Formats: sequence, structure tokens, C-alpha cells
Amino acid sequence: MIAAVKGWHAAGAALLFCLQPGARAADDLPGAARELARRTVAFAGRGEPVSVAWRNVSSLGSAVFSQARSAFETAVRDAGDRVTEVAPVAELHLTLSENQTQYLMVEEARKGDERQVWIASWKRSETTTAMGVGQSVTLEKKLVFEQAEPILDAVFPGGNLLLLSPDRVALYARQNGQWELQQSVPLTPPKPWPRDLRGHLRLNGTSFQVYVPGMACGGTVEPALTMDCRPSDEAWVLESGSRAMFLAAFAPGRNYFDGRITTQTGVRKTVAPFFSAAAVEDQGRQLWLLAMLDGHTQIFDSAFEPVGGVGPWGSDIAGTDARCGGGSQVLVTKAGDGREADALRAYSVRNRVPAPLTAPVDFPGPVTAVWPTGAGTVLVVARDLETGRFGAYLITVNCGP
Amino acid sequence: MPDAGCRWTLVWLLATSLAHAATRPRYGGTLRVEMRAAIETPDPPLGGPGMPDLAAAFNIARWEAGRRAVYDANENPPGGRPYLDSIDIQMGKSLREQSIDLELKRADIVELGPSELLRQAAGRRLWSSSPVRVVALVFSARIEDSRIREALALSVDRPAIHSVLMQRQGEVSGALLPQWISGYAFVFPTASDDGRARALLAGLPPAQRTLTLGVEDAAARQVAERIALNARYAGLTVSVIPQGADADVRLVGARVGSSDPSRALAGLAAAFGLPEPPRTDSVEALQAAERALLEGFRVVPIIHLPDVYGVSPRVKGGTGITPLGEWHFENLWLEDNRP
Repeated sequence: MIAAVKGWHAAGAALLFCLQPGARAADDLPGAARELARRTVAFAGRGEPVSVAWRNVSSLGSAVFSQARSAFETAVRDAGDRVTEVAPVAELHLTLSENQTQYLMVEEARKGDERQVWIASWKRSETTTAMGVGQSVTLEKKLVFEQAEPILDAVFPGGNLLLLSPDRVALYARQNGQWELQQSVPLTPPKPWPRDLRGHLRLNGTSFQVYVPGMACGGTVEPALTMDCRPSDEAWVLESGSRAMFLAAFAPGRNYFDGRITTQTGVRKTVAPFFSAAAVEDQGRQLWLLAMLDGHTQIFDSAFEPVGGVGPWGSDIAGTDARCGGGSQVLVTKAGDGREADALRAYSVRNRVPAPLTAPVDFPGPVTAVWPTGAGTVLVVARDLETGRFGAYLITVNCGP
Repeated sequence: MPDAGCRWTLVWLLATSLAHAATRPRYGGTLRVEMRAAIETPDPPLGGPGMPDLAAAFNIARWEAGRRAVYDANENPPGGRPYLDSIDIQMGKSLREQSIDLELKRADIVELGPSELLRQAAGRRLWSSSPVRVVALVFSARIEDSRIREALALSVDRPAIHSVLMQRQGEVSGALLPQWISGYAFVFPTASDDGRARALLAGLPPAQRTLTLGVEDAAARQVAERIALNARYAGLTVSVIPQGADADVRLVGARVGSSDPSRALAGLAAAFGLPEPPRTDSVEALQAAERALLEGFRVVPIIHLPDVYGVSPRVKGGTGITPLGEWHFENLWLEDNRP
């Protein structure tokens, strides 16, 4: 929409304004430029020389700024005026600006003692940035799926994709290179989800289990996606690589395991509350690493007796047992307060001392979930800081050169 | 150059909607907050920014009017239970006391004024809203001669107030609406012009060129003194008085209450005793309405200021205030607390 304001505050001239009938918001930058150019020619007179000074106080980049200049000055010429610094009839000051919902092209035009202010606007659109797929030497990162809603976990039954979100479990099949939604079943919590919701999918052939705080669900993907849920504080099965596992109770309404565990041999223990766990092999002995609530990672022996500590690492760790790098690896996020781009790095453990195996693999935002998916792979969910979308990545420990 | 307010807003919107990870949030603990205002109402305030914003995720557990408020976590609010167990708010603390308490780790979140900002150690964590407090001169109805009002408006050296007294907090402005909300604030002039001011006053008797400037907030007295000094060069004699009610002109602060430009303008107009502007979704019409409100110089905007807080390093979870200065503490957590 275009409106005009006459007057020159500094000169003390009278301030008047008039709304142009029929004026409307522009669709885009070129439309805004044309609208202002039309007003400019009406103000300066057809065929008259005008000078133009520009500035950019918006977040738009130099390319868009150049586009704005070009669009406006072309439109002024097309409408019959000349843009020149020589003896201009009217001086124009154009500013590219913005508020929370619109971009603005603000024109302050002066002809003698007369001053006009026009504003043309167009809607801000959400920035979308395509995600890339990166690779590193020893950790291979592959973007599998992305969506606007949070992703808690994903598994791959028979080459399909089963995705756990806060409000549903969805089954996708790959068609023409794209994941196409086949079916989904709702996930309805008995009370509001915790603020930092976590969830885990465990696949067994064509059946699956869903672990979320305060609920336990079981379902199958064949012949159709079905799922039954019930309120439950049932322990979650935490796996590492292809062989190691234990049971851990999740603290109701929280984002961590409360420390009550059952080992693979059926022994019940209580350790300090922790966020995540990974098993590694150290000179033939199995060790468990638990990411504790205080930001440190504690090392336990196979009987879950503490034997050391490392850190600070991030809260999410997962174990793999690709046959390289000492036979098992722990993949760890980096420490931070969850508001910055994250990275995942593989370590081996020798004599209870972790040593980095790979360079960090970067993500476009904080990693929100890390779950093991097999011997040499983990599923990582990260939220892109620019787009706000959640991406599920498969990270493969690559033993090749 | 990107506008800081808009950029900040986008960052805040993204940050507050993030799921947490890397280091996951920890539950528990009491967040210790201090504030200068001493709210004397018998019950906790229900409207406006600050404490009322906590009601979405916390329940008031203790209210000592003018002194202290304690909020406990609501177990089942939308979005889940807050990470904090409680928030303990001490009221009536001077800015100096607050700054010391933050330094001595007796407080986690404190308000910072320009003087305290200057004394903060390098690397101190700060939260700043977008500019949300509009400081303006408001003339009494008895100052009928618009030349006097315009002369005082033209005499104010806003950049000096901004850089020296406000330690470059906020932004100078001749507009009611901050730039981050309207996008056009820069079209309202801010430059001083003593020559033009003197020309306007020429021929007026000395009695008419003498004004009292009322300041209700002691913290704003320095700004008022600077305006009085500026006015002298324009040919006005301005004396600063503490009580604003009987003054010829008052230095008043008003808060932007909405990020919707039209609502925000209506709120500011009401706060400054101006007529209600027409509601509009058009930026152009809004600019025209704002210009009409300021025509006649009954109200002269001087500067737009942000809310600035000093924050303890143990407070995690991103920025706890919105661009409008609202408190959103439900995503905050404390590093040294264990469940």
C-alpha cells in the first residue's frame, strides 16, 4: 500500500498526509519498486531528472539490495523520468527496511520545500535452506528424512521408514526416491509431555516397541500399521552396537533415566540418574559409559561398578561395534547448552581413557536424539538452526580408508 | 545494515522453540531473581510483563507485597513441567544492590541500568530485549504555544543522551513506535537544531520561555538535567523538579505492550495521553497516524530503551526474555542442580 505524507519536519513546514485511493500492498519487491516509481514520477513530473540515494537497514543481503535499486531505477526510467545526480528536480532517499512481518521500501522524496514519504511493503517469507549431506573420512553422515515436527527416533523395517514424533508414529515407503507417507497412528499422552521429550523405537522384525515417558506401546508394520499403547513406567531397553543392552527406568515427567537398571544378566542395580548410555570394549572387557546429569560421563564395568570418568561431553552418546578403531566406538555429542550447532565424534576407549577416532561431524543445529540402530550405525536427530526443521541422519562408522 | 531488533527477534523465536540437547536440561533448583520495582498490591500482578508472564508455567506460592514473591513449578502446564522447581523474586532492590548480588552469586537474574552495565565484568552474560521502553517529553495542556513545544523538541541532543547517559543502550528516536516494530521510525527526525529553536522563540517574553520539567523516576533525572542544559542553548530556561504532576512538561517512560504495530501505537498513545489512533493493518496508514499523533509536539519521543538483565553463568537454556521483555523462564535450567 502506498500513502503520502507531505511536510518537512526540520523546516517546520505543515504536515499533511493523504492516503491514495486504491493503493494496496505490493506482492513482492519488484511490485513495491514499481509502485514507488509510479508515485515518484507523478511527484517529480514526467521526464524530469531525479537523484536517488539508497541505504539498507533491513536484514536483506546486498544481492536483494542491488535488486531493489535496479528494480526501482528501471521502473522510474520506464515511467519516463531520468535518474541522475545532475540538477535533479527531486531528491529521493530510499531505505530498505523491515518490521516483524513485512519488508518495507521507504521513499522520502523532496522537491523544493515539499516533502513526501511513501512506504511500499511486501510480506516476509520464511527462509528455507536446503540441507546438505556431508561426509567425513571415518564417520559418514546421511540425511534420511526431515520435517518441521520434532523427530524422536526412527527405524527402518524392511527398507521402509518408521518415524516417532511427539504426536504419532508414521510409516513411510520410498517411492521415486522420496519417502511417501503410507500410514500413521496417533500417540496420545495421558498428560502433557515433558518439556524436553524423549522417545525411542525398538524394532524386532515387523513388530516394534515405542518407549515414551509414562507410556509403553507395541505395534506392527505388517500387514498394516497398528499400535496399542497403555500408561506404563516400564523400563526402556537400551542397546549399544549389536550385542550389549540393559534395562533402564525412565524418570516420569523428566528427560533422564532415574538410575534403576537391570543388567543383561538380570542383576538389578541403582546408579546415579543419567541421560544416555554406550558400551565399549576395552582390551576385551566390556565397559559402560553413562552420560550423567552433571555433564560428565562415568565409566562402569560390566557389573555397573564405577571405574572412571571422562568429560565433559554432551548428554547424548551411543555405542557402535564396527570392526575397526579398537572394535567398538562411542559416538558423543559435544557439551553445550543445546542452543548451538552440534557435532558428533567417535572415540575408542583404551585403559579407560577415551581417544578420539574421528574428526567431529558437524550438524546444522543442536542434536536432539542419538540412538543406536545397528552394529556400525546410529540415528541422529538434529534441528537446523536456520530452517527450524528436524533432520534424521544415519551416521555410519566407516572402516574404509 | 540489519536492524538489531528484527534480527534479535528471529533469533529468539528460533531459540525458544528448540528442543534441547547436546547437554540436556536438568531439573530442579530455585532461580533467584531481583528487581527494582516494589509491587505493593495485595495480590501478585496479573497484567504486564514480568511476574505475570510466569503464570503460564508456575504457580504463586508466596506473596509478600513490596518485598518478595515465590513461584513454584506447575506440574502439568502446556509444554510440560518447567525445569526449575521454583523462582524466588526479591523486590525493591536498587540497581546497585542487584549488581552486587549478581557479582557475589546471591542472585541469578538482575536488572542492569546504564551505570551498572558500565561496571560489569568483561564476558558477563546479558539478556537484552528489543527497545521496548519509550522515553518522551509530554507537555501539559497549559503550554498552548506550539512554538515553545517545538523549540524544546528541536533543542534535545539525543545522541549525547544515548551515548553518554545511556551507555549506548537502545536507540535515539523521534518516533513513538520503535524501528523493530514499525520499520519506519527513521523517517521521524531526531536532529537538534538550536538555530531553528531560537528563531521559533524570538519575540516571546522570558516568562513564556521558562518551563518546569518534572521527573517522577529518579533514575531519569540525569536525562532531564541534560535536556534542561540543551534547552538553555535554544533560549529556554528549564528547571528540573521531582514531582511531575504540576510541571509544564514531564519526562515520562511508557512501555510497548504489543509487537503488533497498530496495537502498540494505540497503547503508547493511551500511555502518553494522546488521542486513540485509527486501527489499521497498513504500514503507510500507521505511519500517517503516528505522524498525526506527534504533530503539534504535545509528545516528543527521545529514546527507545531495552530491558537489560545480568545473568549468572549457572543459568542455562537460552534467553529467558522475549523481544518485548516478557519473562519466559519455563525453559531455563540451572547447571549446578541435581534432581
